[in-house]
Amino acid sequence: MSSSDQNPAPTPASGSGTTGGTSAAPGPLGRPTTVSSQAMDMGAQVLQPLKPVRQMKQHACSFALYAHDMRRQLEAHHFVSRLNQDVLQCAVYDSDKPSARLIGVEYIVSDGIFETLPAEEQRLWHSHAYEVKAGLWTDVGVPEMLQTSEMGRMAKTYGKFWCAWQADRGDRLPLGAPALMVSPQAVEPGRVRAELVRSRDERFKVDSSARGLKGARVEMEEPEWINPNADYWRMHGKGFAVDVTASEMKRNAPFP
Amino acid sequence: MAASCHDVDVPGKPTETGTALLETATGAIQGFAPINQIHQHLCAFHFYGDDMTRQVEAHHFCAHLNEDMRQCLIFDGPDAGARLIGLEYIVSEELFLTLPDEEKPLWHTHEFEVKSGVLFMPGVPGVVERRDLEKVAKTYGKTIHFWQVDRGDALPLGVPQIMMALTRDGQLRQDLADCVEKKYGVSFQKERENRAYMSGPAHGIHPLANAAGKGLKTDIREVDLPTAIAGARIFT
Repeated sequence: MSSSDQNPAPTPASGSGTTGGTSAAPGPLGRPTTVSSQAMDMGAQVLQPLKPVRQMKQHACSFALYAHDMRRQLEAHHFVSRLNQDVLQCAVYDSDKPSARLIGVEYIVSDGIFETLPAEEQRLWHSHAYEVKAGLWTDVGVPEMLQTSEMGRMAKTYGKFWCAWQADRGDRLPLGAPALMVSPQAVEPGRVRAELVRSRDERFKVDSSARGLKGARVEMEEPEWINPNADYWRMHGKGFAVDVTASEMKRNAPFP
Repeated sequence: MAASCHDVDVPGKPTETGTALLETATGAIQGFAPINQIHQHLCAFHFYGDDMTRQVEAHHFCAHLNEDMRQCLIFDGPDAGARLIGLEYIVSEELFLTLPDEEKPLWHTHEFEVKSGVLFMPGVPGVVERRDLEKVAKTYGKTIHFWQVDRGDALPLGVPQIMMALTRDGQLRQDLADCVEKKYGVSFQKERENRAYMSGPAHGIHPLANAAGKGLKTDIREVDLPTAIAGARIFT
């Protein structure tokens, strides 16, 4: 019915196609938000505390690659909420602007938690050590001195990132099956394109090079061991796609 | 009273004071524009595309991207420790009709959820809530869950699941309905009566929506990686 590695049929929702990277994608379909909807939202917000959303206290910017086609790469903005010292959950957007599209969710766990997962599960996760040490992952706007301890912790974690809106493909609405993402690494095909990094660095006044974050993180402690079940493509040379197919539904009442 | 009708214990050490303090300090100098757009909390239920008997209490925290579209984070409860279990996109009927036919089964209708009273905005008076739900009743949603808390998963395991929503009486599990009604002091039956005047999509419920009346499952497939690195890729 739908696969993460299959392009949608051409309709207004699928857009007209675009180049790689996220910022070039056309805006979502739809009419501008009306004043009455805005007023409704403002009213609801006064009455509703939105506690889970208020827990998002970290904005991290990095890059991700599609697990089924690592040539497709995007800039990702993570809004991070901490469940405990070892488990983080992130809403991932394609920019840091009010108009940003919600493109997915990433879960992040410490190495200790990761080791408790079944091998079958571990292959869906990626390591963060390279991404952090290379200066790609950064808490936007936070001086490096203040993020050192958090980045040191982050370097030892693993992530599982599902993308639900392939905006970089030009999709003007979220189409198709969710896609698994992987992290940038030091070797092909895991290298993130230089122009993608340069564009991010310019816009956020970040220097991720050896003169900047990468250099500052040279002394950062590296994980003693990266579990080889993570970053599946590195050992196996294969990617993952997700298929959604028609099936029977177990029911307790008629549907629909 | 439990924060969520599904209780699981996430493994891990309690957040250290230093970590929490640092986060508060750095968070104060960062921007959160995308999540500051979230202005609305809706509570409803989802069930799995291949198993209606597995149902989940779903708290939607939504932002308007424009008048025809909302994007929502789905948590399993309303409190600070709630788990982020999925996403939902909500579109107007007009946008739904632009979707390719193979996409439409992944979307569900909201008419019954609204009209039956089970979808509500915690803390918002009925008269205010109904003004927005009149619009929601006409929309379609695409929901993907990544964390199966209903089966007790302590961490997000396995592949994403396409979720469906209630479309008729008899589907919602009574224990889950009781849990939510009690927790929020709401009556689905009473709200149903208040919402009797509302109507669904102008063109009726599209036959391809709601999994085209069947079911949906997801699988992961190993694929060969395209190797040619040709810089930015052009889509045609």
